[in-house]
Amino acid sequence: MQVKRFFEKLIEGFLLISGSITSITILLIVIFLFKEASGLFTTPVVEEGYVLAFNKENPIKHLNAYQIKQIFDSEISNWNEVGGKDMPIEVVRLSDLTNYYTEEELGAEFEHIPAKASELTAKTPGIVLFLPKQYVAKKFDGILLDHETIRPGDFFGGKEWYPTSTPSAQFGLLPLILGTFWVSLGAILLALPFGLAVAVYLAEIASMRVRNVLKPLIELLAGIPSVVYGFFGLVVIVPFLQQTFGLPVGETALAGSIILAIMALPTIITVAEDSMRTVPRAMKEASLALGATHWQTIYKVIVPYAKSGIMSAAVLGIGRAIGETMAVLMVTGNAAVIPHTLLEPVRTIPATIAAELGEAPVGSGHYQALFALGAILFLITMIISISVELISKKKYAK
Amino acid sequence: MQSKRISQAIAFTLFKLMSYAVIVILVLILGFIISRGIGVINWEFLTAAPEEGMTKGGIFPAIVGTFYLIIGSSLFSFPIGIMSGIYMNEYATDNKLASFIRIMTNNLSGVPSVVFGLFGMALFVNTLGFGDSILAGSLTLGLLSLPLVIRTTEESLKAIDNSFREGSLALGATKLQTIQKVVLPMAFPNIITGLILSIGRVSGETAPILFTVAAYFLPKLPNSIFDQVMALPYHLYVISTSGTDIESSRAMAYGTAFVLISIILIINILASVLRNYFAKKVKMN
Amino acid sequence: MLTIDAKNVDFYYSEFHALKNINLEVEKNKVVALIGPSGCGKSTFLRLLNRMNDLIDGTRMTGSVLIEGKDIYAPGIRVDELRKEVGMVFQKPNPFPKSIFENVAYGLRVNGISDKNFIEERVVQSIKSAALWDEVKDKLNKSAFALSGGQQQRLCIARTLAISPKVVLMDEPASALDPISTAKIEELIYELKKDYTIMIVTHNMQQASRVSDKTAYFYLGEMIEYDDTIKIFTNPKELSTQNYITGRFG
Repeated sequence: MQVKRFFEKLIEGFLLISGSITSITILLIVIFLFKEASGLFTTPVVEEGYVLAFNKENPIKHLNAYQIKQIFDSEISNWNEVGGKDMPIEVVRLSDLTNYYTEEELGAEFEHIPAKASELTAKTPGIVLFLPKQYVAKKFDGILLDHETIRPGDFFGGKEWYPTSTPSAQFGLLPLILGTFWVSLGAILLALPFGLAVAVYLAEIASMRVRNVLKPLIELLAGIPSVVYGFFGLVVIVPFLQQTFGLPVGETALAGSIILAIMALPTIITVAEDSMRTVPRAMKEASLALGATHWQTIYKVIVPYAKSGIMSAAVLGIGRAIGETMAVLMVTGNAAVIPHTLLEPVRTIPATIAAELGEAPVGSGHYQALFALGAILFLITMIISISVELISKKKYAK
Repeated sequence: MQSKRISQAIAFTLFKLMSYAVIVILVLILGFIISRGIGVINWEFLTAAPEEGMTKGGIFPAIVGTFYLIIGSSLFSFPIGIMSGIYMNEYATDNKLASFIRIMTNNLSGVPSVVFGLFGMALFVNTLGFGDSILAGSLTLGLLSLPLVIRTTEESLKAIDNSFREGSLALGATKLQTIQKVVLPMAFPNIITGLILSIGRVSGETAPILFTVAAYFLPKLPNSIFDQVMALPYHLYVISTSGTDIESSRAMAYGTAFVLISIILIINILASVLRNYFAKKVKMN
Repeated sequence: MLTIDAKNVDFYYSEFHALKNINLEVEKNKVVALIGPSGCGKSTFLRLLNRMNDLIDGTRMTGSVLIEGKDIYAPGIRVDELRKEVGMVFQKPNPFPKSIFENVAYGLRVNGISDKNFIEERVVQSIKSAALWDEVKDKLNKSAFALSGGQQQRLCIARTLAISPKVVLMDEPASALDPISTAKIEELIYELKKDYTIMIVTHNMQQASRVSDKTAYFYLGEMIEYDDTIKIFTNPKELSTQNYITGRFG
């Protein structure tokens, strides 16, 4: 008897452990994502193994990633634009040293570079020198910008995403988050009217026989893999959009929105239909018994009653659209620029992760930036899950 | 008085048209893939490795890879998911812990697949040192399908009327015996149908396997669970977007898409056949 | 002219023959009680009178039902208009998740009435007729769910009265209520008789004898007996009726 009871307890323990796996997974996801992501903010703003050097007299002590990029792209040419003196900026890369010194002066094995780099920095007030660390002289005559790390502002407020640009990689979130936003918004605007219409049709209008045919078809729509949607988008929708709107490329935000709308439909339909089906029969009969038509009953009683379920459907649809990766990756063109219309290529957060993680060396700033994107994506979906939870709780509260 | 009838007629017609539009889209997608893909399918396509920069030959290694990943992830997610579902429905019905776990499970099911990819890479590939391997990919996919398996199990168990449990307990059976001998056998048909559908999900996922197992091109079959494999969805992605010669590998892409769609269709049909079969069996008893 | 005239009514739920050749006539401003054991078909019959059974898939009806001389199953009959004429109160109170006022106004609004003053007048009048006014006059904008079960049921009656039906059908209107609320509903039925023809399904024999003028006894889909209430309860013709009202079964 004792053995039997112990055995029962043991099994219950096993079951509990299994039950806790999902919670543990969430916990681990949080730990791994945020650990790697936080590494981004201890990553030097200047490319690994390099430093930036200024003249001693230069009052500039800090430059952020975007400023560095602009300086090296000659978009900023005067120190006063970054808060310094009115003085032209002189950009010098390692290879430019030959413009100032002969090859003999630099040495056959480049052994004199450290000394010359130091000398050049000291005598050029407007210099910004991009130099490998190995060539920094022991007693360097100038200011070294080597402790600067990527700041949260560079990431959250950054307008450009060029993870491989030198001397300073650009990890600006804005174009990606806006890309995700526009594509998802377009998708939900397309999917919501259709999804709700189908839900109403299935829940209220269609006969049992029609329903029995349509329901499995819609479930099938949910089962098609996202790569297949992406492939369909690539070979059908993309060329169609290109021809219809006379675009240089058909891979656009709109193509992504259309594909995502189709993919979000089954979620919206199923959740909204289920919620309309939970409207008590008594409620519906009361309305009909008062002489309301079926349609009046639907929009005056059934839809308001199922409101929270319909909202959950919309939110879950948005969640599906925001997190979708492969289909979007295949049809949106993946240009990491802030889009102005839906007819331009965009790049979403999930697509960026999928496209670039393979190329980013483990532990590099780029790798960490992609994990930061993952963390943001995770947070967004958590917010969505929790709001769905709250919406459906609210229903039961009253 | 006429107006409310006219507005009903307009609304219902509109809804009907919109619903059929959705169905037309579905049929269009399926029809397009099937009509373009079916011609590509032949014995060689299904049993040979890709050749000449993946413009010729077949997709055998990808089929095998996807098969291994299905098996691997199921070995992980089925037992844990079913046990978890049993715990949720039979043991922890109404306490705080259960509702916490339930919320976490729901949250996990909302996590985008690419985040699973990131997580799988960080944990299984790098931290645990499995490398890009069937093991890492299977575990990642297993975690991804876990919420689905749990929910399926839970719902199947919930559908069993309490009177059966009470009947068994009243005869002196323990809780575990009741679950084992009464509840599980009754819930089995629904659980198995749900599990089959979860296989469909796993076989089509791409993002989670991108960085955990999938190989771009690997003409030989794996020898151990620490080898990489090709997989159907990833293969379709590769040959339709980044092959050496996208135009001439189009046929291969249509064929691969056709095979993927077929797997999904077969799984859905299988599930509904099983559902009907079990429903009939119950009726006959 | 008869208010309700059902002739040779047969009704089927797919295979199941739920009503067998029912013939029943009701005069204006009378209260008719339908009694009988569960599953005898009395609720089914009630729901035939405003075509509520149309909502159930796989049902079939033969015979005819005339309301004020009009065949309500004739082709071309507008169901929504019929239901305006034949109001219904359900077993469980089923107010909408709206305010008390909006619940009563609902029937008017869906029937295309938008005159504010008229709606307000009708709502007040209906709530008064349903003997609910004193209890809710200060909280017309509160949710109907805040009312007690008995009040909710009277609200549902008010809601039905607002659309001025000719006939009011009541499907066990007091079965979910406490005795005091039940008494109030019964009083109300007595009052309403002046203006409406009422048909009520009830399980409660005392209730049937208290409120109705005539009583119909249903058993296994057949109408066994239909007569003045006094007669049914004191001197039924059929043995089956006698057994039922004296509590031998059901």
